[in-house]
Amino acid sequence: MLSLLAQVPFLAQGVDGSTEGTKLIIPDIEELIAGIIAFAIVFVVIWVWVRPHIARMITHRQEAISGRLTEAEQARIQAEKLLEDHRKQVADAHREAGSIVEEARRAAESVRSELMARAHREAEEVTRRAQQEAAAEKERAGAEVRDQVASLSLELAQKVLAEALDEDAQRHLVERYIQEVTELDE
Amino acid sequence: MTGHIDGYATAVLEVARAEGSLKEVVDEIYTIARVIDGSAELRNTLSDIRIPVERKQGVVEELLSGRASALTAALVDLVVATGRVTDLLAISDRLAERAAAERNRVVAEVRCARSLDAATVARLEESLGRATGKEVEVKTVVDPSVIGGIMARIGDVVIDGSMRCRFEQLRESLGITDG
Repeated sequence: MLSLLAQVPFLAQGVDGSTEGTKLIIPDIEELIAGIIAFAIVFVVIWVWVRPHIARMITHRQEAISGRLTEAEQARIQAEKLLEDHRKQVADAHREAGSIVEEARRAAESVRSELMARAHREAEEVTRRAQQEAAAEKERAGAEVRDQVASLSLELAQKVLAEALDEDAQRHLVERYIQEVTELDE
Repeated sequence: MTGHIDGYATAVLEVARAEGSLKEVVDEIYTIARVIDGSAELRNTLSDIRIPVERKQGVVEELLSGRASALTAALVDLVVATGRVTDLLAISDRLAERAAAERNRVVAEVRCARSLDAATVARLEESLGRATGKEVEVKTVVDPSVIGGIMARIGDVVIDGSMRCRFEQLRESLGITDG
């Protein structure tokens, strides 16, 4: 204890002053009593008047805080609910988007297949018509050739016959004609 | 039209009768009309209004000199000079009809590839007469296009036994329109 005081310069002086120094620390008895009484008065005053105020304030505060906590909790629950709702909506939207895309794909597929079918049909129609026309053309050409061949053959036959018919043959034809005309009457 | 043809036929008939060569003139005109009708070149030349009448007459005279009697030549000349060549065929038909009618006969125009002898013509007249029930006078026209056989026309009646007719029937049955 002393060694500790010795390290503090102005207290060291007190140590050096012996009883004088000790007096500095230990107060007078009257002073001590007065101090105790004053303290008691202040204590009582504070205890009686101030403490309830403080206690009320603390209670107030506690209530406020607990109220805010409840609010926060409710807000959190609400937020979670909202979040859940949003998630659900997003999921719904995703599903819907998926179904729309699927539907669009199906529609596109059906349009595509219909177009393909139509193109196919038209191509077949064109082919069929071309074949028909070709056949008709062939038929016509054939008929024309047949006609020409027949016509030329007849012309040739006529010429050959005209040259081949000699005097005798001509007379024979005339005789036959007379015979036929005579038979007309009967 | 018919009036003109009748007029010409009557005129020719009267002139020929007066001259006493009726049958000869009628036969000659009949043949000449068919010769002109059968030749497109001759027909076109004689009916072409751009060719002067003198030239047409020259053509006719050249054609007929030595082949027809002077009277026939003069009568054809007249028809050509008046621009009635296109009617010559009808005139000759009418002329032949009238000449035949005077003897109660009808004219049969007989077309054949070669000329017929008198005996054949007589037999033809007989058989055609029996077929039509009238006295028939055959006028022979040599027409190589009949090829063979005979085609006879009496008024509106045609009795066709020619090779040409057979060919045409053949063509028709084969469905060939143009020869």
